[in-house]
This record gives sequence, structure tokens and C-alpha cells, in this order.
Amino acid sequence: MDITDQLGSMRAGDMSRRAFTKSLLSAGVGVAAVPLAVRKATAAPEDQATFFTWGGYDIPELFVPYNETHGELPNFSIFGGSEEALTKMRGGFVVDVSHPCNSGLPRWVQSGIFQRIDTGRLSNWGDVMPELVNLPGNEADGSSVWLAPFDWGQTSITYRTDMFEVEGEESWDMLWDKRYSGRLGSLASGGDAWWCGAIKAGVPMSEIHTDDAFDKIAAVMREQRPLIRTYTDDTTTLEQALSSGELVAAMTWNSSATLLQSEGVPVKFAKPKEGALTWVCGLMIHKDAPNLDRAYDVIDSLLSVESGKFMINDYGYGHSNSKSFEQFDAETLAGLGLSSNPADILEAGHFQVPQTQEWETKMNTLFEEIKSGF
Amino acid sequence: MSVESYIRKPNRPLQLYAAIFLITLYLPVLFLPLFSFNDSLYVRFPLESFTVRWYVELFARDAVWNALWNSVRVGVAVALVSTTMGIFAAKAITRYRMPGKGPVVTFIMLPLVVPLIIFGVALLVLMSQLGVPLSLYTVAIGHMIVCLPFSIAVLIPRFEGFDASIEEASADLGENAWWTFWRVTLPMVGPGVLASLMLTFTVSFDEFILAFFLSGTQPTLPMYIWGQLRFPQEFPSVLALSSIIIVVSFVIVFLGQWINRGAISASTSGDAS
Amino acid sequence: MTDQTLQSGSASGTAGPRAGWFGRLIYRSETARGYTLLTPALVFLGVAILVPFGILVVMSFWTAEGFGFDTTLTTHNYEQFFERPIYMALLSRTFGISGMVTIATVLLCYPMAYYVAFHVHRNKMFWLVLITLPFWTSYLLRVFAWKVVLGYEGVINSALLSVGLIEAPLEFLLYSKQAVIITLAHAWAAFAILPLYVSLEKIDKSLLEAATDLGDGPVRRFFRITLPLSLPGVISASLLVFIPTTGDYITPALLGGPDGAMIGNLIQKQFGPINNWPMGAALSIILMLCIAAISLIFIMLTLFVRKRIS
Repeated sequence: MDITDQLGSMRAGDMSRRAFTKSLLSAGVGVAAVPLAVRKATAAPEDQATFFTWGGYDIPELFVPYNETHGELPNFSIFGGSEEALTKMRGGFVVDVSHPCNSGLPRWVQSGIFQRIDTGRLSNWGDVMPELVNLPGNEADGSSVWLAPFDWGQTSITYRTDMFEVEGEESWDMLWDKRYSGRLGSLASGGDAWWCGAIKAGVPMSEIHTDDAFDKIAAVMREQRPLIRTYTDDTTTLEQALSSGELVAAMTWNSSATLLQSEGVPVKFAKPKEGALTWVCGLMIHKDAPNLDRAYDVIDSLLSVESGKFMINDYGYGHSNSKSFEQFDAETLAGLGLSSNPADILEAGHFQVPQTQEWETKMNTLFEEIKSGF
Repeated sequence: MSVESYIRKPNRPLQLYAAIFLITLYLPVLFLPLFSFNDSLYVRFPLESFTVRWYVELFARDAVWNALWNSVRVGVAVALVSTTMGIFAAKAITRYRMPGKGPVVTFIMLPLVVPLIIFGVALLVLMSQLGVPLSLYTVAIGHMIVCLPFSIAVLIPRFEGFDASIEEASADLGENAWWTFWRVTLPMVGPGVLASLMLTFTVSFDEFILAFFLSGTQPTLPMYIWGQLRFPQEFPSVLALSSIIIVVSFVIVFLGQWINRGAISASTSGDAS
Repeated sequence: MTDQTLQSGSASGTAGPRAGWFGRLIYRSETARGYTLLTPALVFLGVAILVPFGILVVMSFWTAEGFGFDTTLTTHNYEQFFERPIYMALLSRTFGISGMVTIATVLLCYPMAYYVAFHVHRNKMFWLVLITLPFWTSYLLRVFAWKVVLGYEGVINSALLSVGLIEAPLEFLLYSKQAVIITLAHAWAAFAILPLYVSLEKIDKSLLEAATDLGDGPVRRFFRITLPLSLPGVISASLLVFIPTTGDYITPALLGGPDGAMIGNLIQKQFGPINNWPMGAALSIILMLCIAAISLIFIMLTLFVRKRIS
């Protein structure tokens, strides 16, 4: 074929395709020129505070007051576990507000990337239950705290009342019941499972750091492992499996039982005779929070009665605002495993004792080995 | 001719196998759209009634749109940069005889066979040691490592199928280099470029493992989905979102492959003849 | 930089209009021209691959200390690897699973590639696009889809129950090694077909003709000609599936259950809840070394077999 011929056709014809490619490229360059780090050009969300939290807290129901003031929701960033969140923030990830739990509090404070919360700036602070404020490591001095408590609840057993035959009292033995081998589920995170193992093994929370405790807990976890169908961190999996009957009992938080009940699945959130594992989670402000004023608005909004009602009614979690409980009668609360007097629950259950980073690493390494069958 | 005849003869068992193969390939993926129209929080048979409410819910959610926008920006940036580098590299690989080309090409294609978790971990370590905060930029860098070999692999057949003497003729006719590239080379490899842009975009758009290690506050769409998996109330909306992503990916990739079909059929028929 | 590359790269043949000494050098040497064009890709990949790897190697000799690292160099992590049984066990399980996946994928894809190469005469491209299409869609979602299929109330169990073949749902389908193998084989099938197809398509049809003329039946013909000639495709397909699957952690996390966990899960956890980055780095390095060794052995073995055949 004649080359010049081809070249000619290339020049004369194909104009449209070339033009097309050209416009496509220029359009692409235009989009690429938008800096990646900047949000939408509308600019409005940029001014909002960023809340770094668990999935499920990124919903308008919890930010009614915030929305009224600012006309928009805060920005959300979601983590899968609070350890992962801390790792990311230590890696230089700046947010306004984050959402750890009591067992991590001293380590979060120690990381040096948070600032104390001036409680005088929170309109709902007066109604916050004092039992929840006086946590180990919170260093509450009357006018400032590290962590503003927000939600609290329990890690216990959700079981199918129609499929699981309880022998005697409800107990942690239910998750070690050989009759239901292969039909029991567990949370995968050591932050829950290891502590529940401690309760089962009869290790006091205050002694969980000892070598003896490690041995005892490891023994019960190894005993449980062949009975467990799956360890998972996503509660959806456990809930789906409970609803289908694939699992008859699983270690869960309050919300799983509440959600399944609202779907009409016959489940109950057990009150084990040894006591459940209780926890309190709350809000901390990053030391370099870019929108400090709005960070306080985020916290205030989460502490409001509106948010509290939603937390109790829809998720089955306790709330830190005592007024939130006034809408519910004692029977409803008891059904949810809650009480308007958190001291009842906290004293009846086992409260996690914060541990060092070394302990967390050691515990997680060991627990991973056990989960893998060693 | 005898071979032709035996090859031409339809092989029934093989045809059946091919049909079953394709069905198995597609069927699992098609269950996601099916359940996204199912009026139940839980994914199980029998199906309940038909509903579009999960889609409606999806559209009311800002976080989804932010994540989508993040993914699109990363995808477009990655597609443009990796395709640009890919054009140069593919041209060099096909046109010039260079010592050490073999090892160089192997090195470039390495990311296709190294487990992504290794790149994710290595880049995370690098960023944290340098004190670079994780952001969409870090995700984009990670994605480019994977997309560059894909882009080059898609472009090489295009350059192979195109007669270098045309470029030379253009130069002989007094066109300068940039002009030759713009008016001769680019139109010839245009379909390959388009295909590369589309493929690299989809790879980046759907990528999860690197984004898992490298994303900061702003989630990409797969990261957002991962975060939502833990919440049963969100699950049907995730199915709806997944269905949309699948349909969009299918359309983009199909178009991309179709536009570039000349290259592959040219190279394969060239081999056969 | 880019502009320079373009200029020097595209103008070939006669000397360009503004050729300085550098330009002339570039025109004269194909090698220089080629490498100039390759520079952006090579520099990027060099920086983005080699530098992080270097740091990964260094970090694997550190130890975790609370929130930070103890940067004294020590082989502690590697010693841990040999001292505690979990690491070796997970690594060998990983290679077992990936090996099964590779065998299954190549065996299942070979007939399909053969079909397209020899029995599809029109619209070959359409078939290829059709086969590879699923590969480009979100991996996360495909894994997710298998959960829906294999689940306790999933598609397979529902179907079998409604037909009456089983009384209670099959439990081994989900949360098992099998689930991981099925899902990974499905996810990588589309990718494995391409190299198989290309090697089959390249086979000179006249060789098959000759074999037929010499009286070979279809089976003999396949084993004497088609299979040996397509071995390069089999090798690349195997490596393309085997290596990436060894690093997977999503599929085992979602579908594997306690017995299906792979080394990737453990590496990911070192960077997450366990928070022992140096150990994670060491595990990554070990994984890479093992992959390289296994690939090398595999390639040599296949080449050896091929030599014996021909």
C-alpha cells in the first residue's frame, strides 16, 4: 500500500475521530485538574466538622440540632474498628471529632493527638450522667474532660428463643455449648471476645494483664474455637445468620438483638449470670481540629435528647443524657438490656479495664493464633 | 483442508461446555441486582415483593455521592496519567530495539503478578515514614502502579499493528515531531488509547485492596461499601449501589474493548495467517 | 520532561529541525530514544515500587514498641516466624488454597479458550470481550455475590431445598476453604483465559493438519501438538492466577470462616488491630520470597517437561 496515500487519508478523513479524541482529552484534563484533596466546588461541606466514627453513626437522626444550626450535616469518615482509627490518626490523619471507647481511652490520650474538651461549651453537659464521665483515664476535673461519653451498652449473647434451649440460667456457657457446635458465632475483635473470654474463665477484669490470665483465657478461647462457625467484625453477618437460623446464638452488641426483634425474629439479648461485658464510648476532639467550634456542635448534637431517643429506640444502646430515658418505661429498657440508672448495668456487668499498647498487641497476636486454630 | 473440515465441524460437547462456562461466569454477579429490587432487609429466598425503595434511599444519601465523586476523580486522574505514560512506553517497547528490553518489560509488568496487599503495605509504610498524610493522592499513586501495566498491555498490540513508515513519511513531508504525533500517531492508536483510558478508569474505580491501606478521610466508593457492610439496615442500599456500579463498569469496559477490537483481531489474525 | 520525550521520540528518520548535540545523540541511538520514551513509566514504577520495598525490608528488621518502633536492627520478626507455628501453617495453607485455585482455574478455562480459538470463527472478539468482562468489575462485589450464592439461605441451598434434594441447608458451602477456592477461581477465570487463548490461537494449523495426515486421532493430536505448543500460555495463566491469589485477604475474611484464613489476613491484621507493623513487613517479605521461589521452580519444571515431550 502506498504510504503517502494512507497519510493523505489520515489527514483528510478521520477529522471527526480526531476531534473527538481531542475533546475527550481536554475534558479529561479539565476533570483531572480539579485538585484531589479539595471537596466539591460548592465549598459548603468544607466548613463542616469532620466526625471520624463507626459506620451507622453517619445518619441525620443523630444530628438534628447540628443541622438546624448549620443547615447541613457534618462530614463523616468511617472506620471499621477504633484501633484502626487510632492508627490512621497517628499516621497524620486530621479530623475534628472521633469516637473511641473506654478501654482505649488512656492509650488514645497517651498518643498525644487529642485536646481536652471544655465542658462549659456543651449545652447538654448538665444532663450527662456522672457515672459515665468518671472513667479511668478521663481525668475529669469539673470543667474539662478528655472524652465526652455518648453511648454505652453491653457485649452479650443474642440467641434464638425458638432454637436455643437454655439449660437453667442464661450464661456465657451458651457460647461454649457443644450441642450447638458449628452454629455459634462470635465477634472477631479481641476488644470484645477476649474480655468475654475472661468473664467465662472467671478472670477478674483487674487481673487480665497477668500471665496467668493469659493462660486461662487462651484455654477457654481454644475450647470455644471448634464450636464457632465464624468470627466476624461485621454485625450484618451475625444478624443475617441469626435471622436465617444458620446461627442459634452469637456474641453481639445490644443493637443486633434490637434490630432482629424489630424485624420479627424471635431473639433475646441474654443477661448471663456471670455478667455481661459493659462499655462506654464517647467523643474526643483532635488537637489540630480545623473546625473547633463545630466540633463542639457535633458533640452537643450527639448528647442531645433527640439523639438519645433514637439511640435507645432504634439501636438499643444506652445514651449518656439522663433525660433521654424519660421517654421509656422501665420494662422497655429492661427488655433492651438497659436501665435509666446506668450504675445498675455497669455494676452488674464487667467493665473493661484499659490496658497498655503492648498488652493489646500481645493479646491480639495470641487471639489471632487461637482463631486460626493454634 | 482436512484440518479445516474437522475444525469446522461443530463440537457439541464443547459448545455446551462454553455455554455453561459463560452462565457460571455471569450468574453470581447477577444475583446482586436481583436482590437489590427485593423488599427485604435480608438476602434470602424466596423473594419478597418488588421494590425500588433501596434505590430511592440511596439517592438521598450524601455520603454515597461524595464517595462516588472521590472515585471518579481518582479514576480519571489515574486513567489520564497512566495512559499517557503507557503511550510512550508502548511505543518504545514496540518500535525500538534496545538492550535490556526484556528485563525492563518484565519489571513494568511486575505489578500484575505481585499481590496487591504487598504494594498496599509497602506504600503505607513509605507514606507513614515520610510523614505524608493519606489522601486521595496516595490512593491514586497506588492505583497507577496497577494501571500502568494494564495500559501498556492494551496499547502494545495497537502499536504493533501500525506501520511505522507512515510516521516517517509524515516527518519526510516536513511535519514536526509534535505535529506528527498529534496528527498521525495518535489517530492511528486512538482506539487503543480510548480503550486504555476506559480500562484503567474501571480498574481504579473498582479497586479496593490498595484503597483500603492508602485512603485517608475521603473514602472511594468500594471503601464506602466496605464500611456499610457492617450495617444490615444499609445492606439493601449497598446492593442497589453495587448493581449500579456493575452496570456502569460493564458498559464502560464493553465499549472500551469494543472500540479496541481492531487491535486484538488484527494481531490475532496476523498470527494465524 | 514530557515535551522533550515527545519531541525526540516521535520524529524519526531524518534529523529533526532543532537537533543539538543531545538531540543528535538521541536520533542516532535507538536505545537512547527508546529509553527516553520509557523514562516516565520507568521512573514512576521505579520510585513507586523499589523505594517502598526498600523501606519495607528495613522495617522488617525493626520491632514494635508501643505506638512507635524500636529501630535497632534485629532478626526478631523472622525468628518469630519460625518459632510460632501459626505463620508457617497459614503460609502453607495459603499456597495450598492458591494452588488448588490455579489448577481449577486453568483446567476449567483451557477448554473454553480452546473453544474460542478453534471453534469460534466469527465474532471472536465479541466472545473474548464477553469472557473478560466480569474481570474488570469490582472484585469486592464479586466476592460479595458469592456470599449470596453460597450462603445458608443462599441461592444454591434455596434451590436444592425447593427441589427437595436436601432436607437442611448445606453448611459446608460457606465459611470453608472450599468457599474460598470457588470464589477465587471464579474471580480469576476471566484473567486466565487470555494467555491460554493467545497461545492456542498462535498454533500453526498446518501442524495439526500434518498430524492428522500421519494418522493421529484427535486425542493423540491434542497431546502431541496442541498441549505442548500451548504450554507457555498455561505457564503464564498459572502464574497470573497463583501469585495474586496468595495475597488475597478479602475472600477469606468474608467467606473463609475460621479454617479458611490466609496469610494475607494476618498481614492485614498486623497493620490493623495487632498493630505490629514490623512483623507485617517481615511477613510480606517472606511471602514475596516464597512466591518468587515457587514461581521459579514451577517455570523450570514446566520447561523441563516440555523439553522431554518434544
